[in-house]
Amino acid sequence: MSKVVGIDLGTTNSLVATVREGVPLVLADESGDALLPSIVSAGDHDTIYVGREAQRRLLTDPTRTVYSVKRFMGRGIEDVAGESRWFPFTISGETGGVVHIHLGERELTPPEVSGFILRELRRRAETTFAREGDVDPEVDRAVITVPAYFNDAQRTATRDAGRLAGLDVLRIINEPTAACLAYGLDKSHQGVIAVYDFGGGTFDISILKVEDGVFQVLSTNGDTHLGGDDIDRLLVEQIVAELGLDPATWGHAVQAIRRAVIQAKWDLSEFDQADILVYRMPGRAEPYRRHITRVEFETLIAPIVERTMQPCRRALEDAGLRPDQVDEVVLVGGSTRIPMVRREVELLFGKAPHSDLNPDEVVAIGAAVQADILVTGRREMLLLDVTPLSLGIETMGGIVSKIILRNSTIPAGGSEMFTTFVDSQTAVDIHILQGEREMAADNRSLGRFKLRGIPPMPAGLPRVQVRFQIDANGILSVHARELRTNVEQAIEVKPSYGLTDEEVERMLIESFEHAQEDVEARMLIEVRNEAETIMQATEKTLRRQDFDEIAAARLSPAEIASIRSALADLVSAMSVSDRNLLQAKSQALNDATRHLAEVMMNWTIQAALAGRTADEVASEGR
Amino acid sequence: MQPDTSAVTIQPCKHCGSQAPVDVHFCPRCDRILTLGRHGDYFTFFGLPRRLQVDVPDLEQRFRALSRQFHPDYFYNANSTERLASLERSSYLNDGFRTLREPVERLEYLLKLEGFAPKEAHEATSQVPPELLEEVFELNEQLEAIQQMRAGGAAEAEVAAKLEAARQPIQANLDVHERRLNTLMTQHDAQWERGDVADRRVTLEAMRALLVERTYLANLLATVRRELGGDQAARV
Repeated sequence: MSKVVGIDLGTTNSLVATVREGVPLVLADESGDALLPSIVSAGDHDTIYVGREAQRRLLTDPTRTVYSVKRFMGRGIEDVAGESRWFPFTISGETGGVVHIHLGERELTPPEVSGFILRELRRRAETTFAREGDVDPEVDRAVITVPAYFNDAQRTATRDAGRLAGLDVLRIINEPTAACLAYGLDKSHQGVIAVYDFGGGTFDISILKVEDGVFQVLSTNGDTHLGGDDIDRLLVEQIVAELGLDPATWGHAVQAIRRAVIQAKWDLSEFDQADILVYRMPGRAEPYRRHITRVEFETLIAPIVERTMQPCRRALEDAGLRPDQVDEVVLVGGSTRIPMVRREVELLFGKAPHSDLNPDEVVAIGAAVQADILVTGRREMLLLDVTPLSLGIETMGGIVSKIILRNSTIPAGGSEMFTTFVDSQTAVDIHILQGEREMAADNRSLGRFKLRGIPPMPAGLPRVQVRFQIDANGILSVHARELRTNVEQAIEVKPSYGLTDEEVERMLIESFEHAQEDVEARMLIEVRNEAETIMQATEKTLRRQDFDEIAAARLSPAEIASIRSALADLVSAMSVSDRNLLQAKSQALNDATRHLAEVMMNWTIQAALAGRTADEVASEGR
Repeated sequence: MQPDTSAVTIQPCKHCGSQAPVDVHFCPRCDRILTLGRHGDYFTFFGLPRRLQVDVPDLEQRFRALSRQFHPDYFYNANSTERLASLERSSYLNDGFRTLREPVERLEYLLKLEGFAPKEAHEATSQVPPELLEEVFELNEQLEAIQQMRAGGAAEAEVAAKLEAARQPIQANLDVHERRLNTLMTQHDAQWERGDVADRRVTLEAMRALLVERTYLANLLATVRRELGGDQAARV
């Protein structure tokens, strides 16, 4: 039987998890890393790299490397105009349409770029299952998580990304809900739980009531454009301003600075001060170093942290609860490691938040549990989620008539009656919107459709019932029926910021045409992993305390020099994406250290024979 | 709103063709989930009597139990008819829970079921109920004065105090309405128990009139709150 997985498709990192014999676990790559950086890069001949390899290329080839693609999912060019100059890659698109991202020579939609990340996770899972001797390691179904505050277009884009990766998307579930499900596995977490999920690009707050194994979301709120990325950008902006750099011409420098500020941000979660340090700053001879204190950092990010508080208050209000009625506060997402964030959350809810589970992994684990529930039909747990935004249609004068209110438990439905304004009118235009504002123009346009095939009748006589159905994924479908004739009407919604089924089909076909390039990327990663292994083993040997003693006894100075030079060659080969070069240098180091390896082996055996305990010997060899 | 469907007592099972009572969710003969075609109302769907006083923890318990019976999660591998039935039944359950949980929505729903709905939508919202004309007139004058104070650069604390003074009589009146409604609801349930049809209709009519005023008062309060809280229109 083919496998199902749960996937956390994050702004910064993505993960894949599965449930094995009732126990959920996160799947790591060959080098033991569970986090896959959500970065995609195009090499020569449009070879696609995903993850760590793409992350390296962000410094060497930033214009062909895409990160934070999640921020573009289901959005239009006008939504991202303000921040696009900070991204090294190019985006384009027409106002009111889907964004296109330039990845090397290709122009791709955000679901296609995300599809590469999903395909990589799928491959990782299949490799793991195959390695463990599974007879059918194929992964063809998945539950994928999205921010709770994602609208219909963003959810649909995520589902399309799954389809493009060859996955049957069993369900789209909300990240905070998934996290709560993971926490709920141990039965001690009951009552009212607030999940504060502050990730790389999005912020969510969900209030849940957990009782009898039912995880009922009472309310949710958030901001799909607020996360650690914004903190990084503030720091980068500060430094770029101090240095007087123009980000448009200094893309490489901006990426180097970005990497340095992220490191400093991490350091500031542990220490009171840190250095923003760029060893090799493009355009500068000497390294760049800037001291930053936690106080300065907190002053800078305070407005961002404050922006997460208002959604929390609204979610409480919508749930009809006071902060003290919340039993537990759970933290999810990398940005909750920032001490100031924890402090503010504690201040708001009046209790210390907890994060017993790894905040990076908890969402993927919840997704895997939900996938398992769907496939096995086990009933001890049930998620009841809500739709984050009200759904409505545009009426006379551009005003929105709400049909399904925000925080309605899904699945949810609603219907609206339409009629005609002129005699023999056979079609009516309908505009669907999502949001809380009164005027249609202030809300998110989900799509438009023409209600056709209304039987010709005098004006006002037809009664067309349009039914809006939000399914358990939070995704909308529309049906219509003329009640006098009982004729079902054909409805084709043209999504405002999404892809039609035909477009998804076409992209699927195109993705097969690029399969060869993906194989090339795969091979580079394998070579790189091998190189890393031998590099680390060699470095470790050279660092041994007794190395000089061993070398003096068994190795010639010339031999040691050639090992060091082969090692240096390999280190520099690691910084470029050239598989042949990497393979050659890797092989060279392997050859240069062959004798060294024998020497080390013999030395260890002799030490053992000399009466040292097996444990001592073993721990050295490790 | 649906017309009174209480006359409907049976529904067909699309799978085995047998007849099932209207208020069950699974076919008694073949055990399949029933398509949501003919159905009763939210009360019968939850297995509750048509009373206005609802034990909310009990309602929640029923909601969870029914969710566990027909949530789409459990029909993932079922055929398309059953999947649709699960989707529709879950949707209806969720809508019903939302309606019955809130006392005001519950009352509005029951009034509609009994044929006592406000005749037109605008009756409930825009037309000032005659009983409240004087109050509304006064409030509008106060709000106007407050807006002028704001425009003239008055201190925010002073404006807030004025608004609070304007709010209080409305809030007090709303509280009176809610108390009277509560009394009527208790009365309605007792009459329902006794099968006292004629008296119950009088109660329903009285509740309808009170509810129109109550909704109006609640909207007025929301207006004052908007004024208090500054630009609430930016809320999304």
